Amino acid sequence: MDMNQYLSMFIDESNDHLQSLNENMLLLEGSPNDLSIVQVIFRSAHTLKGMAATMGFEDMASLTHQMENVLDLVRNEKLAMQDFIFDTLFKGLDALESMVQDITEGGEGKADVSEIVASLQAIVRGEDPSGKGTGAAAQASASAPKVGAAIQLDEFQYSVLNQSIADGHRVLYLDVHIRENCQLKAVRAYMVFDLLERSGEVVKSSPSVQDIEQEKFEHSFSLYYITLKDPAELESQILNVSEIDKVTVMELDQESLQQMSELGSASQEAAAVAEAPAKEEAANAVTTQAEAKEQTGQKQTPQAPAAKTPSKTGGAAPSRTIRVDIERLDVLMNLFSELLIDRVRLEQLASEVQNHALTETVEHMSRVSSDLQDIVMKLRMVPVDTVFNRFPRMIRDLAKSLDKKVDLIITGAETELDRTVIDEIGDPLVHLLRNAVDHGIEPIADRISSGKPETGTVHLRAFHSGNHVFIEIEEDGRGIYRENILKTAIKKGVVTQEQASAMSDEEVNQLLFAPGFSTAEKISDVSGRGVGLDVVNAKITSLGGQVTIYSTPGKGTNFSVQLPLTLSIIAAMMVKMGSEKYAIPLSSIVETGIVRKEQIRTVHGNKMVEFRGQHIPLISLSKIFNIKDFNEHEEAETEIIVIHKGERLAALAIDEFIGQNEIVLKSLGKYLPQIKGISGATILGDGQVALILDPNVFIK
Amino acid sequence: MGEEIKVIVFKLGSEEYGIEVDKVQTIERMLPITRVPKTYTFVRGVINLRGVVIPVIDLRGRFGLPEGEYTDQTRIIIVAVNDMEVGFIVDSANDVIDLHTDRIETPPEVVGGIKAKYLDGVAKIGDDRLLIMLNLSEVLNKNEIIQLESLEE
Repeated sequence: MDMNQYLSMFIDESNDHLQSLNENMLLLEGSPNDLSIVQVIFRSAHTLKGMAATMGFEDMASLTHQMENVLDLVRNEKLAMQDFIFDTLFKGLDALESMVQDITEGGEGKADVSEIVASLQAIVRGEDPSGKGTGAAAQASASAPKVGAAIQLDEFQYSVLNQSIADGHRVLYLDVHIRENCQLKAVRAYMVFDLLERSGEVVKSSPSVQDIEQEKFEHSFSLYYITLKDPAELESQILNVSEIDKVTVMELDQESLQQMSELGSASQEAAAVAEAPAKEEAANAVTTQAEAKEQTGQKQTPQAPAAKTPSKTGGAAPSRTIRVDIERLDVLMNLFSELLIDRVRLEQLASEVQNHALTETVEHMSRVSSDLQDIVMKLRMVPVDTVFNRFPRMIRDLAKSLDKKVDLIITGAETELDRTVIDEIGDPLVHLLRNAVDHGIEPIADRISSGKPETGTVHLRAFHSGNHVFIEIEEDGRGIYRENILKTAIKKGVVTQEQASAMSDEEVNQLLFAPGFSTAEKISDVSGRGVGLDVVNAKITSLGGQVTIYSTPGKGTNFSVQLPLTLSIIAAMMVKMGSEKYAIPLSSIVETGIVRKEQIRTVHGNKMVEFRGQHIPLISLSKIFNIKDFNEHEEAETEIIVIHKGERLAALAIDEFIGQNEIVLKSLGKYLPQIKGISGATILGDGQVALILDPNVFIK
Repeated sequence: MGEEIKVIVFKLGSEEYGIEVDKVQTIERMLPITRVPKTYTFVRGVINLRGVVIPVIDLRGRFGLPEGEYTDQTRIIIVAVNDMEVGFIVDSANDVIDLHTDRIETPPEVVGGIKAKYLDGVAKIGDDRLLIMLNLSEVLNKNEIIQLESLEE
């Protein structure tokens, strides 16, 4: 069977399961006695094992199997979770992650896991690496689950059945006899299977599905089947299939299931074919490796039960989502951009032609295309959770290695951001979080002496505000001390003594982003390589966002990252400067207005206007861009646009407002160098190109 | 060991220039150009070529020749070199010829006021026509432009 088509599904699902394992392990660490969490973990591990085995990744299967053994003991209250067990399990998860990574990159998912396997086995045996061996009870129970593994049902299938009973599904044992004069046994058998699979899962059949397909059976076959259907109804349905002679349906509970499998194990030699419930399959060896191999063997049987189980244990509710290649979404987005340009053009033409019917059609089309735009944009939106979900684990490890106690509290993980932004934002956030734990949160002793709770708190928040998404990382650590920063900045030659004394607190905080600046006195392996925050800042700026630092010395620091919702279509105010047209992103506009000439004052040679009680600089775009046919000084009244960058405001003098528009961002091409004040171009309805201003540059 | 190549012929003033046809994407009549402030002086601005924004440069300006008026003969030649798409404004473009590479000779130091490094060579076509073959990657070399600009300031 060609496995390639399943590989990407396998990788996606493995990642999902690993993620959920990580999350639940962390939950469990918080409340080690909550057995319901252990159940969830067990199920994930179990599914993962099944999938790995089906795909033939033996190392992965055997490692998950060992982890499962440990979890099984915990789940049955034979083993209490302890720190070293958590650590070992986490190590196991890491190893699994790297294997999946390897598979993703085209490798074979092989890794030397013997060390982890050995320590997992030691845990199962009840050995404590610290030497306090907890004894034989655990050991005895370790072999318990293996009993079920004895006959035709391997341990894996047995536990699937067992689990299904526990979940309230019906597990049935069916014995189907086909009429002796039947010519097409395989076809009839196939019809029965087909019928069964419509309302449940065949876990195991005897003879094997392959043999049945090749008519290598006499006149009957038996199978284990999981369903929600009524046995009697099922029986009558099967009997409706032509040439079926007799059907025996037996509903199993956990006890009878065990008996059945033991029975099978006893009679396995006798029953080579048919009739008897036992199968020709050899008894499973008890060792992990043998089992892993056994399961790999099954993957060659296309309809082997193992291949089916993942979907079932994954939950009964059918998924309402599909996975789509991100490239297709990009293509969709590009095509939509083209459409948007034509729409604007049509609107313009319609308003020129003044034909009633045409105007109506164009208006309708505009409405439809705005809805379409919403949907296209939403398709590309991904909850930030996809980035956030790896942080709890990271913070846990980090806090442990630094010997600090840290709680990470995540809020707003459901906030959505454009996929392109999500892909880029991970690394900067990792950096900021590491920074918060390493530099922000103080060592336990310091915290106690300054009267703070011994556990530090890091809040990771995401929320929408206007056209932006904010991600804030706030800790209750030591805060930023102005003097410390200035001292370092002066020492490193980032600023001079004179400059330093004139700087506002906010400006001082921004110094943290200066290249080559790092306040940590010692270089730790966590952060403090001196190439930190400036890289973060550069990355976020390149995404069209910005970082602001708020800090109270002694109380903590807040890094607030502002990000645009999307990168390719923005709302903008179109303005005219003489004969030229420019677009100003709405996100940076505070308001628009008109000032009379006498309201413009000159302070230190700079033009200022009054705006809501404060004086803000008036910037002459025509001067900056050398616009020849417009000069605001010649006008008695000037239109202004008040723009903001963070808290700071400025006014741009412009000629004329055109109106608000959705514009598609285009680059200026590779040939032109970066131009200060211009972030790109867009194509207007009349086919002309207008430049998009980057107002942030005008505010210093 | 030369080969036969196809060359687009265009005019700047009275001189005739050639660009290999496979580097040329299209030739357009004059299009509305949006001025881009604060960039190289010979960059006229950007155009919308079927949904793609492409910078256009005035080749006369690039070579330091006096700039002329645009006429209805004026053309924009869109070339693609090193992943860059750029439009050249030229006085006219109306010929495609076959040229044997063996006939391209190393140029003298200065041809028609243009430095030799912008040229691949000079080919004699017909009795008294000289075709100047442009070295596109050198014409579009940004490092040199930056030096050029800084000298002007």
